Amino acid sequence: MKRLTIISLHKELLGTYGDQGNVEVLAHRGGLLGYEVKVEEISYRDLVPDNGDIYLLGGAEDSAQILSAEALRRDGGLQRAKERSAVILGVCAGFQILGNSYFANGVKHRGLGLLDVDSYPGEKRSVGEIRVTSLLNEEEMSGFENHSGQTRLGGRALPLHRVKTGIGNGDGHYDGAMNTNVFGTYLHGPVLARNPHFADHLIARATAQSLQFAKDVLADEYASAALKI
Amino acid sequence: MIFRLALFVAKFAGLVSRNILGKSGETIPGKVLLTFFPDAIGKLSQGRIVILVSGTNGKSSTTRTLASMVSEIGPTTSNFTGSNLDCGIATALMRKSKYAVLEIDELFLPSMIVATKPAMVLLLNLSRDQLHRMLEVRRVASLWHEAVAKSPQTLFVGDIDDPFIAYALSASARNISLSFGGRRHIDASACPSCGIYLEWQGNSFSCHCGLTNANPTKVLSSGNAAYRNYQLATFANKELGGKERAYVQGDFERTIAAKEDGISRIRLVKNPASWSEALASIESKEFILILNSRQQDGLDISWIWDIDFSALAGKSVRVTGERGIDMKYRLHVAGIESSIHSNYQSALWSVDSSVQVLASYSAFHELAMR
Repeated sequence: MKRLTIISLHKELLGTYGDQGNVEVLAHRGGLLGYEVKVEEISYRDLVPDNGDIYLLGGAEDSAQILSAEALRRDGGLQRAKERSAVILGVCAGFQILGNSYFANGVKHRGLGLLDVDSYPGEKRSVGEIRVTSLLNEEEMSGFENHSGQTRLGGRALPLHRVKTGIGNGDGHYDGAMNTNVFGTYLHGPVLARNPHFADHLIARATAQSLQFAKDVLADEYASAALKI
Repeated sequence: MIFRLALFVAKFAGLVSRNILGKSGETIPGKVLLTFFPDAIGKLSQGRIVILVSGTNGKSSTTRTLASMVSEIGPTTSNFTGSNLDCGIATALMRKSKYAVLEIDELFLPSMIVATKPAMVLLLNLSRDQLHRMLEVRRVASLWHEAVAKSPQTLFVGDIDDPFIAYALSASARNISLSFGGRRHIDASACPSCGIYLEWQGNSFSCHCGLTNANPTKVLSSGNAAYRNYQLATFANKELGGKERAYVQGDFERTIAAKEDGISRIRLVKNPASWSEALASIESKEFILILNSRQQDGLDISWIWDIDFSALAGKSVRVTGERGIDMKYRLHVAGIESSIHSNYQSALWSVDSSVQVLASYSAFHELAMR
């Protein structure tokens, strides 16, 4: 049986906005697609393992974000994961950590530099439902955003979503960023629960297989219902 | 004189609201009064012994029970219906009394401490809740910390096992801190005080900055949230000279007694902490879960993914509410299948034995009004 190893990073720090859901939905859909799924929870004190197919980073409050980013930078495991083309998904604070720099507790901090983006404090916190179009496949997607930071893309990152309603990166056009298999977004919800096809995309990328959508009628119903919230 | 006239007009507005419009009348009088006198809460607090109660979970039940305890010492007013913003507080204070026991919204607590100059404040707990409004748990704790530091005359009574409460209490000149032997907190992996990784040993924390639950005023035996809130209320009551009252768990749970056949209990569940409390003590085989996402519920319901629903495995579960499908999918991914219903009544019709209802904030209040 094909294996799929999901690494949930620093859940105790990066889990403020239901981000555990991304782990569970990936594992669920991986199972439906015929993978033998293994989830490893890596806490702040653990080393980042090199056997992951997909690495997940969730949202966090400022102090927790700084702690997590520093530990991951010291560890270097995510840099190695990127070099071997594993999939990395960062949501909200996790997205900012993947970038070159971000602000937390009013101070600029270095990120991991896995995405060529820089985040800085916005004038107003962005809180509310957000609708976007995926630039992976032009699908409509939904989520909830709650962040004070805004994000500017550098030349080596592509936007992940085009914003229809809501704020996203704060540039008036886009949400998130991607660079080959590294993805970042401001969409909570959790993003993979409300947009299960995105989960399937990540699985296809991580396993270098062609894209297959998991068969789950309820997930599809929920995704369409979530677009109408 | 003008203030008394405003009071009269405000009370009249409450009378109209209750008797003619058929509303609760718990906020209108305060709203009218505050329009004329923005500092009315301060004025009405003068000469009274004010006790404030705040926290993420257990505010209403703890306030209700403490008010009942204190009313045995002397005349007591309270915002019984849980209208815990300025209008509800002003309305409660318009009733004459020696004591005022007031439930306060977490974000309103700092300004209400300034306005009412309370003799005592009960700090129950802080955890993730309504993040579209609270934004971050740490932010609320920091606001409390500042407010506590500026109120040296007030006695703060709190549960020090909650690191956010420990942080708020650490700013106080006078406090009673209770420990129940410690317990882990899902939102406190970073120290609320200094921000470094909080060191836990078993159920207790001790940070390099000095924040710890190791030096409370008193250590009590461990228990659920209802019991802990009872103890906090008991210590506050004792401090005021009140008589001890025996613990009744039901006093501290937001439940509605069955009004219709077949319903064993309707319980308020509004965030991961209160869900976990509810799921730890379920007794039924049949469940109706109601999930809405209005302002009072929190617009973002991502937190349902933070709850361990395994206690519902093998049970018969029905979901309803505006976000019922979110709940259905969340349970589905956890391996628990449920049926979805367009409304509460239709969910209820499908039940043939005793059913336990777990309802989010707005749904709970609608059921309470029935």
